[in-house]
Parts: sequence; C-alpha cells; structure tokens
Amino acid sequence: MITRIHIRGYRIYKDFNLLPNPKMNILVGGNDAGKSTLMEAVSLALNGRIGGRNVLEELNPHWFNTELVQEFLAQRAAGRKPALPEILIELYLRDDDELQVLCGAVNTAVPTHACPGVFLRIYPNEEYQDMLDDWLKAPNALLPVEYYACEWRSFADRELTKRPRVLSVATIDSRTVKSSAGVDYHLRQILSDHLETNEKAEISLGFRTVKASMTDGALATVNRRFSALGASLQAEPIALAMDQTSRTSWESVITPHVDNVPFSMAGQGQQAAIKISLAMKRHSAKAKIVMIEEPENHLSHTSLSTLLERVEKLATDDQQLFVSTHSTYVLNRLGLNALHLLSRNLVSKITELDPSTVRYFQRLPGYDTLRLVLARKVVLVEGPSDEIIFEKVFYDLHGVTPMAAGVDVISMRGLALARCLELCAAVDKPVAVMRDNDGIEPAELRVAVVKWLDGKKRELFIGKVSDGHTLEPQLIKANGEAHLREVLGITDKADLVTWMTRAKTEGALLIAESNKALKAPAYMREAAGFIQNA
Amino acid sequence: MNQQEIRSRLASQAGDSSTLEVMGWYTFLLRHFAQPFLRFKFPKDRVKGFDFEGRPFERAVGRSRFMDSGNRLYACELGKLAFELMEATPALLHRLECIYDEILIDEVQDLAGFDWEILEVLLGSQIDVRMVGDVRQAVLSTNPRGKKNKKFSYAASLEWFRDREADGLLTIAYATITYRCRSEIAAFSDTIFDASWGFPGTTSENFDETEHDGVFLLHTQHVDEYVDRYRPQCLRHSVNSAKNLNLDFQNFKGVKGATFDRVLIAPTANIESFIKKGTNLEAAAAAAFYVAVTRARQSLAIVIDKVGMSTLPVWAPQVR
Repeated sequence: MITRIHIRGYRIYKDFNLLPNPKMNILVGGNDAGKSTLMEAVSLALNGRIGGRNVLEELNPHWFNTELVQEFLAQRAAGRKPALPEILIELYLRDDDELQVLCGAVNTAVPTHACPGVFLRIYPNEEYQDMLDDWLKAPNALLPVEYYACEWRSFADRELTKRPRVLSVATIDSRTVKSSAGVDYHLRQILSDHLETNEKAEISLGFRTVKASMTDGALATVNRRFSALGASLQAEPIALAMDQTSRTSWESVITPHVDNVPFSMAGQGQQAAIKISLAMKRHSAKAKIVMIEEPENHLSHTSLSTLLERVEKLATDDQQLFVSTHSTYVLNRLGLNALHLLSRNLVSKITELDPSTVRYFQRLPGYDTLRLVLARKVVLVEGPSDEIIFEKVFYDLHGVTPMAAGVDVISMRGLALARCLELCAAVDKPVAVMRDNDGIEPAELRVAVVKWLDGKKRELFIGKVSDGHTLEPQLIKANGEAHLREVLGITDKADLVTWMTRAKTEGALLIAESNKALKAPAYMREAAGFIQNA
Repeated sequence: MNQQEIRSRLASQAGDSSTLEVMGWYTFLLRHFAQPFLRFKFPKDRVKGFDFEGRPFERAVGRSRFMDSGNRLYACELGKLAFELMEATPALLHRLECIYDEILIDEVQDLAGFDWEILEVLLGSQIDVRMVGDVRQAVLSTNPRGKKNKKFSYAASLEWFRDREADGLLTIAYATITYRCRSEIAAFSDTIFDASWGFPGTTSENFDETEHDGVFLLHTQHVDEYVDRYRPQCLRHSVNSAKNLNLDFQNFKGVKGATFDRVLIAPTANIESFIKKGTNLEAAAAAAFYVAVTRARQSLAIVIDKVGMSTLPVWAPQVR
C-alpha cells in the first residue's frame, strides 16, 4: 500500500507529493491538472516500464519538467554550473512485514527514514561524461536523453528487474481494445496476474499440444503433397508446421469472451467492466493497487452506475484504489472523502469530512460537487434568480464577470447549506454564501453554520428581515417600486411582489439584461466585495 | 566450501528451492546492512561499490573510515559499519526478521571482529541461527587487521560460543566424526591443540586401505624419492617457508576445504619443535597447521631431519 507518492522533475511535476488514503483515492482536477501523468508516474515506478516498454527506449526530452529545464538553462546562461535535470519517482509503502524486503533508507526523506519503497530515477550517465560536457557547451531545452541512464530500485538500494512479487498492480485505462490482437498490454497483464502459475503452465502446455495436433492432422496431407515439390535449394523436403516459438504463445491468441463474443468486439462498457472485475477479483489477497482511469468514459449512465457498484463491491480492505475522473457522479458515488484535488504541481486532500456529509452526497450523486471543488472561488446562492442578479451586481461592482474573476456562482437548489459549506471548508475553498432570511433573524440563521465561517475565506450574507423575506422584496426595497416597474415593464395594476415572486427567473433575466441601473441589496453587494478579496 | 558448492549441494539435497538464498558474509552485510541503511550514518551517501583489498588510512574517521572517495566500501571495515548501522536503527533487524526465518552460517570460525557483535544480535533475534564451523581451522579471518574482538579470533572463538551457551543463547553440538582422514591422521591432528583447549577427540570413519597409510616423518634426503613414489600434495606455511625444497607447493591457508589423498608438509620452525619437543603452538599457528594436516585422506608426511622425542614412524626407502 502506497503511503506517499513523490515525483520530481517528471512532466508537469516539478516537486510533487501526494499522501494517498489507504483504500479509496479519487483524483480530480481540470484538464491538464496532471491526473493521467500521476497515474503514469505511479505505474512507471511500480513496473519499471512504461506501457510494457523499456523506459530508456521511450525516454524523450519532453519527459522532463519544463520549468526545471528552464531554470537549468538560465543558471547555465548566468555562468553557473547547475546539475543536469533528473527525474525521480518515489513510492513510499506501508511498513508491512511482507514488504520488508523493499525496506531501506535510500529515499529523499529528511531526516533519514527507513520504510519499504521503490524508486525510479532517470539521470545523466557518468559514462557519457565526455558527450555530456560537449552538449553543455551549447545547451538547449531538448536534453540529451541519449546520454541518460535509468535506475529502478527498492529503498534497500537493490536493483529491481521485475515488479516485486509483493506489489501487484492493475491498471484499467479508459482506452478500449480495438486491435486485432484482441488483448492490449494492460489487459494481458491483468489476465496474467489473475492466473496462478500452474494454471498458466497448463494452458501453455495445452496450447502446444493443440498446435502439434494441427501439424499432425490437417497439415499432414498438405505436407505429403509438399514433399514431392522439391522446392528447396538442397532438395531437403519442406513442410508446413505450426509455429511453436514463444512469438505465438497462448497469451496472444487467448482472449476473454463475453457471451460468446470476443472481448475486442464487446461494447466499450463491457470491456471496462470486464477489466475491472478481472483486476480486482484475484485468488490471492495480496497487497494490491488498482488504478482506474476515467471510468466514466464510453459508459452510459446506467453502465457507469453498475460499474461503480462493482468497484465498491470488489474493493477489499487490502486494496488501494486510485480512480481519476471528470465525473461528479463518480466522485459522489465513491465518496467525497477520498478526494484529491490536483492542480498541476499541487494537490489538496479533503480533510475531515463528516461521514454523514459523505453519505449525503452519495445519495445525491448528480449534484455538481466537482464544479464546487474545481472552482477557484465559490459563491453559493439559493436558486437561478439569485445567480443571475448576483452576476450583475458583481459586474457592476468590479467591472468583470464573476467567471472572469475566477468566481463560480453555484445554485444550491435546495441542498443543505451546511453540507456545502462543510465541503468548501474541507477543500479550503473561498466561498461567499447568500440566502433568504425567510423571516428569521440573520443572527439566528448563522448559528447552525457558524463553525464553517471565518470572515476571511468563508462568510454568510443575509438581508435584513425588515427589508423583505426573499430576494424580490429586497430588490424592491433597494431600488424603489417605480424604478423596478420601469425595468420590468410592469403596469401599476399588477402587484409587483406577486409578479416578481411568480416569475422569479424571468424577472431576474429582465433585470440583468436591462441597461437601466440596478441598486444591489446591501447583503449582495457585501458578498460581491467579500469574494473578490477572499 | 565455496558458495557454488553449497548451491549445488543444496540443489541436490534440498531440491531447487527458491526460498533458499546462498550468499557470502560480505554480500550479506552489503545487501542487508550497508546498502539499505547507510544513510543512518551518512545521510547523503549511497553505496557505489565494494573494495576487497583497500584499506582506510590508519587514523581515518567518519566517512573515509568506511569508504573511498567513490563510495566503495572497504571490506575490512564493513563489519564495523554494519554493526553501527544495526545500532542506529531498529528497522534493520526488523527487516531481517521479516525476510528470513532461518540463517545458516557455514565456516563460522572465520568471522572476526564486529562480525561477532552482529552474530550476537542475530542470536537474540527472532531468526533461527544455525552455525557450523571448525574452530580449529580459524585461519581466514574476515578482518585480518582489525583489533576488535581479537581475543575471540582464531581458535579462541570456541570460548565465545561456550560463553553464549552458558547464557542460554545457543547450544553447541560437537561433530567429532571425520569421513576424510584415516584414524592415524585424525589422532595426530587431535594432538595439535593441547588438552587445555578442551576439544573433543576425533573419530575416523575412513577405513580405506592403500599401500601407504598413516602419518610419517621424512628426512630431507628422501623427499624426492617419496614425492616420486606417492605424488603427495605438498604444503607449506607461505611463500617464505621451505625455500630449501623445490616442490610444487600450495600454502596452508590456500587449501581450506580441499581434500587430497596424500599430503606432504614442509614444517615451520615452530611445527618442528612441536614434533621434536612437544612445544605447544600458539592458536593461529596451530589452526593453520591443523588445516594442512586434515587435508589428507590416506597419508601424511612431515619433512624433518631430527625427530627428537617424536614416536612417529620415519619413512625411508626400502633397500632393494
């Protein structure tokens, strides 16, 4: 089980640390936030290979963190002699007895710390010092990767040649199998891990026998005819036989079938589901790491729901899951408390989230928590009309739209304010909350949520009871009836409050689109000011 | 017995068991002590190699005591380093306990200096430790220059084991049967260490008979004829000894673990006086001589001109 992921100099990760949860880890982040890169780095350090291929063969200058490379070049240009950029990926593992063979202090922890772990390092090869010195005379951003070496070792400083037996990992990527081979690298690995050694031997033997019987059977007749052909140079007889070399091992021809349909022909949803089942349901319950990339891809809503159910059911206590996702649904279902929010080189982890809050959002998986989590700043309002009016108020005050200022205005639509605030606090999100007073004194309404408020990053804003119970009377109070009637184009006959309350959203839109000035209710203006500075 | 021999014997006796690892003592200390835990003494360093021959400067302290500038560890200081790392972190022993249920140590008499301290810790751990060795053979010390535990080195190491046995850390079983040496040779080898050592006597199970069996003394003038007739393996203490004899010698220390049908020994002055007057050899010399004597299966000849009070038969060519 991984307790710490440390990545230095790899792609977008200049110096990155993540402390995963023991069981469930959900990685969210905007595009380019580094979700796939993180998964890739973990898999690299666990397998010592990338996509089944040799690291040095795949290595290219773009693997190196551009910022580090720029710093290096700037220092060179300034006449200093900085060391060439390196890549280091370290996985710290739990101090379990069965992992002790990987235990040691060859890691970057300060002070010296011994624990099980593995690392992969890509560094300039001293044997090519001459060439490197040559290159350093005119360095550029494309590092001379030809002169780099790669070491894959345990924290005990022992070179690893294949993935340690005690660390089994399955990667379930969102790509689906379309190749004619039927089984891609990840699936083959999952299949291979799923089978016991003796089962594999039996299959291999059986396959050989089958091939031999082909040679003795159908091919025998052909060969009798061929023998009379005399086609070869030295008149040795030629014959057709099944290829018994390892090139044609059973792994390349045996593929899972779903309802008698080969895996590669199965629907994309089915493929993902099968991979997950195979990967997570093993015979031996060893320490396991399962990585699932964006399970929502290619899946209909119902399939996704089935799939997540399966993931939840198959996950055991000694399994550590990493799931990257863009989907709020996945996030809410698998549990908000497992969230890691990635934004390039940084990660924030959800701290203390009340279990009842986690359950609350699990039951409301459609709610856009991800939007809330991904926003830079959040303004929570009760409904669409508040949203529309606030956007105008904000624009009038600051001259930019909330969106342009990095403020996401989100309607709670009846969701419990306390839950949303708790979530904001857990991800340390600046938030301004507005609500109607519904005839209750603002001070009284504050009591229930006061523990989430700090007046600097998170605050609650409510209009005075004397100015009206909801947004509409508050607007009338601030602007005067006459002005609003003019903005909305309502005759004197209709009752303004009734009209506005009945056509909330429509009214709000008319106000927002009008070029006539609007005076914001005090609490709303305060909220707009607060969030800009939060 | 070298590692390859142990491996092949294990393969034939215990089957091809993947849970059995065979490694040298230095490898053991490198792989499980120095490499994983070096940073508990030198937080920025990594082990980059091993230097079997090199030595630190006499008064080197800190890093340069244990390794050269290229981070190659000195063999002669590895035991000290390993022991200090063991003291520096409990993780080291815990790791060993998780990896190995049992550690078997062959030729345990050859450990030296800090190796004994390490062994003591292992004896107190959860790991079962079994050791075999012949303390009478203790001539190849792992740290020839180290001063630590000098008192336990060579044949005195038996004392160390006896002390540990008294403390209840281990039990000693004496294996006194030789399948190699004939009884005459075994009996002679038993006399090399005087009774104060308390070594039990050896019983021979080699009952093979040839035309020439037993222990003989041999005058220099008959050496050529003897060698011609019996083709013994000739042994000497070192290159500097027995310069008067022009024979195809091997040195005492070089033949550890080897077996020869017939052996001829060119004695040192001390060995000569042991044979002539029964003067006891000091521990290291006794051990070296013991190794040489016990290489022989059927016959042993010692080159000596004045036999003194020795009762051993003197070989002479028969007058035809």
